[in-house]
Amino acid sequence: MASPTPFQSQIYRSLPEIERADAIVERISKAIGLGLLKVGERLPPEAALSDMFGVGGATLREALAELRDQGVVETRRGRSGGTFVVNQPPTQTDAIRTWFLSTSISEIRDIGDEHSAIAATTVRLACERAEPHDFDRLQELARALVLATTPQVRAPADSRFHIELAVSAQSPRLVNAEIRLQEETVQQIWAPLAAALDPEAATAEHLELVRAVAQDQPERAQKLVLEHIKRNIFHLIDTKLSLSYAASSENANDLHE
Amino acid sequence: MNTDNEVVHAADALTAWMSGVADATKKLARNVASLVERNLAGKSKAGTTALVGLDEVARAFLAGNSFAVGAGTFFAAESVEEGGRALEWWIRNNSGAMERLDADRTPGSNRYYDYEKLPFFSTAASTGEQTVWGPYIDYLGFEEYILTFTAPFSVHGHFTGVAGCDIRIKDLEPLLMPSLRAVSSHAALINASNRVILGNSGKYLVGERIKPGASGQHQTPLDVPHLGLSLVYTK
Repeated sequence: MASPTPFQSQIYRSLPEIERADAIVERISKAIGLGLLKVGERLPPEAALSDMFGVGGATLREALAELRDQGVVETRRGRSGGTFVVNQPPTQTDAIRTWFLSTSISEIRDIGDEHSAIAATTVRLACERAEPHDFDRLQELARALVLATTPQVRAPADSRFHIELAVSAQSPRLVNAEIRLQEETVQQIWAPLAAALDPEAATAEHLELVRAVAQDQPERAQKLVLEHIKRNIFHLIDTKLSLSYAASSENANDLHE
Repeated sequence: MNTDNEVVHAADALTAWMSGVADATKKLARNVASLVERNLAGKSKAGTTALVGLDEVARAFLAGNSFAVGAGTFFAAESVEEGGRALEWWIRNNSGAMERLDADRTPGSNRYYDYEKLPFFSTAASTGEQTVWGPYIDYLGFEEYILTFTAPFSVHGHFTGVAGCDIRIKDLEPLLMPSLRAVSSHAALINASNRVILGNSGKYLVGERIKPGASGQHQTPLDVPHLGLSLVYTK
């Protein structure tokens, strides 16, 4: 093989251990943020974790130490010991702000395009495949959003509803796609950076969606979920515009007035 | 200040910016034409020697125009020896360094980049005028969401190819948004096929096509020859 170009060498450079530890911290934090791991839950033993993540013991311990420093997990000794989730990770306001500044409107629109495609089929399949106990569960999850009082708990409540909707559609691949899309945007949707989103309105939309699924109305369910996603995407774009371009529009008005 | 004045200001600013890109593109095409003419030294079809120095021209363009992510030359198949395809296109990679675009030029292959069929080439070839194409996903080429400006060039009076540049949609947004945000109503820059290049709100989203003549919607053409750009806005 020809020797790699500088660009290729940049892509394929070996991963420093620190990045792998950071990746573990981020993976676990996101899982807690989305409610996939609950406060009080015990993580698998260290040996199993290093095995699953494919990292050495030192890297894993470095990641757990970082999570302990953040107050997210606690390691207890003894027979019933282990590493436990003790807190929600802090909302990453800085990271979220950076996301808005570095993500263009065309990219946000594109996330909405993908989410619409995934969600449209998910609700159609849910109409065919979900059963009464799913409807009850989804209703309960929808109500959890309006009961959540802070952005930190609204984000996991919202994403949990959408992920379980995909669960009721019986497609592991759609569930995985939904989890990935939720990880990408749900924190941003509920972050109180510019205009805040109304949890009551979102809950009403979730409940209406559950009704359409329960009554096996695929056309209506699809229409509702697409409108729901569109509203979220508009909210993200509005936030992006006010964070990235508010100053420029004020300046421009000053010049013209 | 009222919407009309805001729109005039925004249209002027966008026209000035787009004219700048159009002029830079035409200058690039002139430079390419004179270099290829020298390289051909009287031959009618371009072989490998015809491309000598075009890499420098493309890199100089990128160095001098920070808005562009790619620049270079595409040759018409009929102006190349043995029905070959020839291009010399350079891109700025993610780490800021310049590298040659390596597109598949073998007709019939799975990843064949059939650039003569793409509007940035075919429109410039058929009209003989500069053009702009996009937003589009440049599949098998640069493979990003971009806008491409091109101008045709001729050697000894024969159309030989197009020269031009790519602008990433993501990079265009911060350059043009301040002008659009100065309009207090919904407003967008659209291309000749009524596709939004950039809008100042969720009403006009990049990539969507607007319905001309919708009620309450107005349109002002931008005075940049042959590009077909306009500003739409609501009142």
